[in-house]
Amino acid sequence: MLDLDRLIHEPGRLAILTVLSSVTDADFLFLQRATGLTKGNLSSHLSKLEEAGLVAITKRFVRKKPNTSVAITELGRERTARHWEQLEELKASAQAVSRSQASQSARRSASPSLVRPV
Amino acid sequence: MERRELERTAWAYTHLRGLTAIPGGLLFMLAALGNWQVGPFRHDWVFLACVLAMGGAYALIARAYRERYGHVTPSTEQQLRAAAAIALGFAVVLGGSLLLRSRAGFSLDLPVNAIAVTFAIVMLATYAIGGVLRPHHFAVYGTLLAAGALPVWHGEDPANIGLVMCGACVVAAGVLDHLAFARTFPPPLDA
Repeated sequence: MLDLDRLIHEPGRLAILTVLSSVTDADFLFLQRATGLTKGNLSSHLSKLEEAGLVAITKRFVRKKPNTSVAITELGRERTARHWEQLEELKASAQAVSRSQASQSARRSASPSLVRPV
Repeated sequence: MERRELERTAWAYTHLRGLTAIPGGLLFMLAALGNWQVGPFRHDWVFLACVLAMGGAYALIARAYRERYGHVTPSTEQQLRAAAAIALGFAVVLGGSLLLRSRAGFSLDLPVNAIAVTFAIVMLATYAIGGVLRPHHFAVYGTLLAAGALPVWHGEDPANIGLVMCGACVVAAGVLDHLAFARTFPPPLDA
């Protein structure tokens, strides 16, 4: 049984971390556009990720307007990569199970004499 | 949720901000007008003024993108790949143009439009390296490549016509890139 990282497994947070893992840093507006989250949701997810030390948030002023820049930490990068590996493993094992079930049902339908009448 | 799709959003941000390419495309056409010395383009300063104006237009468009779509700093790997693509692009356009059709001794002197051919190849390669190659890139730059490679470019060097064709393709691809960009980054739900 795989022990999934519950903090990262939430789709919104996984989307944020995955986008951040492919860049140096991104601002709040870009993350909102890239993930499709509302301001409130994004803000709450970022707070949780910052508390866990998975992202670093820098607040500053750009042309007199507040700007929030977010970067993934090394810990965040490692945990996101590990989480995606676990999801890939789960997907592969689910596909293997469905393939074996499909081949079993195909064998049953190919040889109906083996099936006992109820 | 698609991992690759999410990871490619930064590539899309870097390569599909199509409206920023439009001043560059117009500059290609203005360079051809300058070479032909049409009207006010007889004076060198007119072209230089156009370069400054296009630079200003680029800065304004890039700022509008930042304010509307936010800002992202690409990873070091992305920055290196973009720099390598630009350097390779210059080398291919320069070397390819000299090889296909020029006054150089080693030139094959083919009846093709060397600038159009090399530029189309470079643009397709750049989008492919950036991982954002879309069907409209094949349509626009494939057409440019086919038109440039047709053996109908006899007579004088068709470099200026090539510049106009490249400029028109950059503008067309820029508009289509922007539409793809806007689809990739839809407005936030609470906007």
